[in-house]
Amino acid sequence: CNTASIVSVLRCLRRSLLGLWTTFSVHRCSIPPLPAGRITTLEALDIWKRHFIVKGVSEPEHSSSYIIAHVLGAKTIESVEHDKLSQLLGQDKTGQIWQLCTKRLSRMPVQYVIEEWEFRDLTLKMRPPVFIPRPETEELVELVLSDLKTGTEVGADTQQTCLEVGCGSGAVSLSLLKGLPQLQVFAVDQSQDAVDLTAENASLNSSYNVEYKQRFVFSARETLYSLCSPVTALVSNPPYLFSEDMKSLEPEISRFEDLMALDGGEDGLNIIKNILSLAPQILTTHTHPQTSQHHLGLILRLSLRPRYCILQKEKSNKDLQPNMDRGAQILLHGL
Amino acid sequence: MAYRRAVDLLPRGRSSVCMFWKTPFERALKVNCQTGGFNEYLKKQTARTLHTGSSMMVAKLLSVEELFAKRSLQGYLKKMEIDYRECLKAVDGTEERCSEDELRAKRTRVSLLAPLIHSIRELETKQRELAETETLLEDEDPALRELAEIERENCLKDIQDLSKKILELLIPEEEADLSDLVLEVTAGVGGQEAMLFTAEVFDMYQGYAQHHGWSFDTLEYMKSDLGGLRHASASISGPLCYKKFKFEGGVHRVQRVPKTEKQGRMHTSTMTVAVLPQPTEISFTINSKDLRIETKRASGAGGQHVNTTDSAVRIVHLPTGVVAECQQERSQLKNREKAMKALRAKLYSMKLEEETSKRYNQRKIQIGTKGRSEKIRTYNFAQDRITDHRIGMTVHDIKNFLMGEDLLDEMNSSVCELSNQEALMELLEENGQDNL
Repeated sequence: CNTASIVSVLRCLRRSLLGLWTTFSVHRCSIPPLPAGRITTLEALDIWKRHFIVKGVSEPEHSSSYIIAHVLGAKTIESVEHDKLSQLLGQDKTGQIWQLCTKRLSRMPVQYVIEEWEFRDLTLKMRPPVFIPRPETEELVELVLSDLKTGTEVGADTQQTCLEVGCGSGAVSLSLLKGLPQLQVFAVDQSQDAVDLTAENASLNSSYNVEYKQRFVFSARETLYSLCSPVTALVSNPPYLFSEDMKSLEPEISRFEDLMALDGGEDGLNIIKNILSLAPQILTTHTHPQTSQHHLGLILRLSLRPRYCILQKEKSNKDLQPNMDRGAQILLHGL
Repeated sequence: MAYRRAVDLLPRGRSSVCMFWKTPFERALKVNCQTGGFNEYLKKQTARTLHTGSSMMVAKLLSVEELFAKRSLQGYLKKMEIDYRECLKAVDGTEERCSEDELRAKRTRVSLLAPLIHSIRELETKQRELAETETLLEDEDPALRELAEIERENCLKDIQDLSKKILELLIPEEEADLSDLVLEVTAGVGGQEAMLFTAEVFDMYQGYAQHHGWSFDTLEYMKSDLGGLRHASASISGPLCYKKFKFEGGVHRVQRVPKTEKQGRMHTSTMTVAVLPQPTEISFTINSKDLRIETKRASGAGGQHVNTTDSAVRIVHLPTGVVAECQQERSQLKNREKAMKALRAKLYSMKLEEETSKRYNQRKIQIGTKGRSEKIRTYNFAQDRITDHRIGMTVHDIKNFLMGEDLLDEMNSSVCELSNQEALMELLEENGQDNL
């Protein structure tokens, strides 16, 4: 109980600090004045693009067009009807654009500014400080899905389960469920913010299917074994940056994202090692007669893509040894 | 040459110019029911804002009756029936000298011909019925005569439908006819004005897809500074969409005073439409080793170090250098899927074109689906008219036409019918039965 209250105090503190930082930095940067007359979408796009360039905001053109497209109710500016672009904006829309673009001036990531982003075929809610899923993680999901699908062909009668460690916004878990609706997924994260957001995104993307929702169990890490052991697959996009590299991160990341989701310790392997030690106990043991020879340790299959690592557990298992390049998105698969 | 001969075949002086834009059904009614309440119906139907530039007339549609009156067609149908009967005999085993392979080929032939033969027989039955009904028209009982009249009308309609169906079955199908498609529009000569017009045409086709209930998914959209469109592509899918869209490919010309013109002079600009059939995964595969996929991540450090919103994907097909890109979506994976779709369509149409040019090197069909450089249509704003140069048809009301609804559909259907007729004529000629 005590710890919980301390954690919540810390979270409040962090949020207010974030708020302070935002106001502070906005005051430092001048904002282009709200136009006196009405302007067109194209003009607004141009004003903010140029202003972002002057203020050194990264990806100035993308930032301005994503935010303005969002205000117009579209996902990308490319998908806005062409004649709408040269039409005059209403006062309310202009106001909204100014408000959101001002947030971006404080280097808040676009995904937090518009409070949503796409991951594969899902639209997910995004909120600081929960880690924003990176595009290459979309490919991790593809790997896991194809792996699990071949698994279904072999043993059709067994219920497949999957544990995600560090679910963040829920992107990976929810995408897996979207691809394999019969899958049972457990998503855990040490951050309560992340777990809350995962829950929100789960209901946003599946409110029509109650069963689907019930398959989620959120919990702290300690109760993990009792919760979901054993699972067919263990998937994670753990923090893998070296602690020393944390200083050189872009302000978008260092000011707004949960650094716990990025910092992998001195060698970048802190969490990865933890996950590897967790794996033998939590993964289903292999009972396939054909591969009964006693392999020691594990087969480590590095896929062609850097940064992915597929580990498979063999029958006799000692501790799993991480033997890979810096950083890994891990898919641990119990044979 | 084929086209010239097709024109020579037309029975001269028989039908007026206005016959040309009516559907075969109406035309047939005009021929067959000179009396009765049907004329009222016809008047309503023909009161459209259409007229043809008769000097530009290049070919004319024949009615179903005119086609059926051709000895070549009748001969061809007889030949098919004989063919069918022989194949059926072989399959039934009454003749035992066929090899296994031959037998299989004949079985396929039987199943291919069955719908045609079925329709021909049905048509014969209906024609007999019609003859019987016509004798009843002479009956003394007025009630019976009235009944016979109704019966006769029904018969005529059935005959019409069956004849149309038979013609449809005769027209050779293109390999791609049943596939979905990728539509590409590109601005041609005329600078900004051409780009503005390209945007309007792209919207028109979006409306056209909507009108038919086909899905329309924009893949690429490259804007110009003034809100025009340099180039765009969209994936369209739905029943028979390629069959209709393939006649939209070619150069579209616009004549108007552009918004950008200060002195009020009329400009002529062009834009090009390309319609590429979208291959299925099974019918056309691309080796992933031949692809270079470029994303933001590939150009710099990615992963947790960077937070990027740049999800644009560009795919290069290395052996051919064909490129497709997409930034329509916020998800990189979705952009990759869409770019792949565009790339597949581009490569597939290259392959098809190669095959078609091999096969039809000698053939000069007037309404082709491959002539991208061919000027097919003019949109003249001053006269508020649209003229299709392939069939010499003109309709009015550009604003309505650009909505992509009935007016466009009408023009498209006319082109489609004429093309079908050309294909049919060619088929009959190839069969060497054309002795008219």
